[in-house]
Amino acid sequence: MTPALSRAAACGLAGCQICGRVSPVALRRCPRCSSRLHLRKPASIERTVALMIAAAVLYIPSHLLPIMTVVELGDVSENTIIAGMITFWKEGAYPIAIVIFSASILIPFLKIVTLSWLCAAATGRVHPSPTVLGRMYWFTELLGRWSMIDIFVVGIVVSLMQLGNYMTITPGPGALAFAGVVVLTMLAAMSFDPRLLWDRLNELSAAPTPNPRNPTA
Amino acid sequence: MKTELSKIRISMLPWPLPPGPPRFSVCHFCDTLHKAAPVPEGIAARCQCCGAVLYQNRPASLARASAFSLAALLLMVVVHLFPFLTLDAASLRRHLTLAGAAMALIEEGSPVLGCAVALFTIVTPLVLGGGLLYVCAPLLFGRLAPGAFRVAKWMHQSEPWNMVEVFLLGVLVSLLKLAKVADVHFDTGFWAFFGVMLCMAAAVAGIDRDELWDRMEVAKS
Repeated sequence: MTPALSRAAACGLAGCQICGRVSPVALRRCPRCSSRLHLRKPASIERTVALMIAAAVLYIPSHLLPIMTVVELGDVSENTIIAGMITFWKEGAYPIAIVIFSASILIPFLKIVTLSWLCAAATGRVHPSPTVLGRMYWFTELLGRWSMIDIFVVGIVVSLMQLGNYMTITPGPGALAFAGVVVLTMLAAMSFDPRLLWDRLNELSAAPTPNPRNPTA
Repeated sequence: MKTELSKIRISMLPWPLPPGPPRFSVCHFCDTLHKAAPVPEGIAARCQCCGAVLYQNRPASLARASAFSLAALLLMVVVHLFPFLTLDAASLRRHLTLAGAAMALIEEGSPVLGCAVALFTIVTPLVLGGGLLYVCAPLLFGRLAPGAFRVAKWMHQSEPWNMVEVFLLGVLVSLLKLAKVADVHFDTGFWAFFGVMLCMAAAVAGIDRDELWDRMEVAKS
């Protein structure tokens, strides 16, 4: 019923990533905003995988190392993200504990898993199902920024709790590692090109059934 | 005065078509090619293949984007003048400001984090709000600001790094975290930043990217 929809790459056309104007990719630069034109984001899978591995490696120290060091009346205690979450849970502040758990532990982990799955689908190791994968991609792009919340909490607490001898709080190495995880996963999600999933899907649907209108192919 | 008014009315005219042959629109998600047909105000054009939004015709787009970005910028001044939280502990009183959070991280031995916090909460909102006002306000009068194309590019690139709403949630979590050691309460800056968040969201959603660039192209020619 619906006619086959033509795809821009097949016509040699590329939509500008910055201004959205569609022009022939042979121009190399967008005639409107002079950004570079690409049919697909360059080295999309390679960049995504590289950034994701870096994020996965940093994910471990970000939870093992302290994000804050508290000096209270000479007592030194170090806080990790997980310890902070458990404290909230024990005090009965369940909504806050859940927010911290989702933003700091679950979202970065899910982002890494989702992006690996998307890369596997785009390279043909898993079947690409666009409705599910599209949701997954949208979800990683939308939720990525919220992981930054713990870094902001560290900044706010450090700024407020400079109470001389009574109590001082300083940022720990875990905070830097965690900020690295958030930024790297955001960059990884940005360098992934969802159009690769559709390319793969078209290949799959084209391969088993030969086109009846073009018997010479 | 009269001429100015008529110019504003012209800018309220629907999304102009840039000169040249008819344009295409391509789905950024599945790469399906479409003929870019004008849509009525308030209606979104969707991809025939995957249903993703291609472009939207926002009502009074330029006026909305300029007004809300101006409001966001004015509120940003308030944000930097008043503290977010005030803390009272052991006869000490401390204030939290936006720049203070970033500066504290820089001074307490984590300059990279401090710069990141400043970038995500101070610089990107400024680039986004300021850029939108700089580009849209002259377009209301059918003019193109010098360097508008470059500013619009910066705007689109800084958009994913704008973390105003995340910082606000961070303030709430910190408040609950500190409530057990000290007496903490909200101050003017927090509410102003809440306003910045709302105005910024309204300004960015006020004008479609394609419409902004089409209008800039028409103003240039």
